[in-house]
Amino acid sequence: MSDPNLFKVTSRLSEQVDRPGGMTAQIAIQRVTHEMSAEASRSREVVGESLTQLEQLCKEQTVGMDAVYDVATAVIDVAGLFDERVLCDAAYSLCELTDRLRTQEKVDWSAVAVHVEALKLIYGVDPRNTAQFRPVVDGLWKVTDKYKEPAEEAPAE
Amino acid sequence: MRVNLERTRLLLCDDNEQALSVESAMFRGFGMHRQYKASNAKEAMGIISSREVDLIVMDCGMPDMDGYDFVKWLRTEGPGDAAYIPAILMTGHAARSLVEKSRDCGANFVISKPFTPAVLLQRVFWVAKDERQFVRTAGYVGPDRRVRNLGPPPGKKGRRSTDLSLKVGAAKDPNMDQYEIDSLMKPQKVIL
Repeated sequence: MSDPNLFKVTSRLSEQVDRPGGMTAQIAIQRVTHEMSAEASRSREVVGESLTQLEQLCKEQTVGMDAVYDVATAVIDVAGLFDERVLCDAAYSLCELTDRLRTQEKVDWSAVAVHVEALKLIYGVDPRNTAQFRPVVDGLWKVTDKYKEPAEEAPAE
Repeated sequence: MRVNLERTRLLLCDDNEQALSVESAMFRGFGMHRQYKASNAKEAMGIISSREVDLIVMDCGMPDMDGYDFVKWLRTEGPGDAAYIPAILMTGHAARSLVEKSRDCGANFVISKPFTPAVLLQRVFWVAKDERQFVRTAGYVGPDRRVRNLGPPPGKKGRRSTDLSLKVGAAKDPNMDQYEIDSLMKPQKVIL
């Protein structure tokens, strides 16, 4: 085993944050909320486009699980920046499902379709009122866990 | 907590156009107006080679070269001091096949979506205040992955010269008496 070389690095960022001036975290968050409100509407449209794309993939059933995985991650990529937890959890379950399926070289379009329907349902309501869909997301995880790999199961006593 | 990020030059990289736009807005809110934006790792490499950057924030999942490979390139082949630029990676889903890559790429922090702007600001601050040393070994270049230095695992000899011995030796001298301890702590007036 080689000896690790350890050394101290002082980044410019560490010097910059402590300079006089700047703003409090509270003001920064207020400013971010203002800046992001201009992006919210377009972001929601983009998430909607991804869901339409997923629906289309389910209808055609011609692509592999990789393609579904890519679109599902696109949902989290955008919705995740707005802290849309329930929608992201549902999309995360779809990512996990398709990741497991492709690893096991399997295809299950009905499991994918259930996820897409649930995603559309959650997307259809105001993001502030999505907590009611938590049991739906729990159900999606049950579908995904059908493809749990043996190594992921708890070891037997 | 007070932060000043006005002078920070940020490199943002995301292949998702809308996500890039939102991330840019988020960092503008933090006061970071000096931003370079890239839609793929190759563009980001070009920026790193020609501009001074203070912080990199990048999406993990990108076609051709993902965020993990980019940071690995930066740490091992990055030009000059750019190799040590703090890098935060953002991930949507942690695919099983990428868990090791995430651990070994050399990023300062990997942040999972969804997150709130407050969490992101905390992470930027944490990275700025990060006092971990850099490690260079044959298989890894990046901040020390031991966030808390608890020494080598039980029963193993540490690889670092600073790792302490597992055995506590016998006392070299007799214990100090209470008078000696008190006099060590006794405040004294000093005439300058």
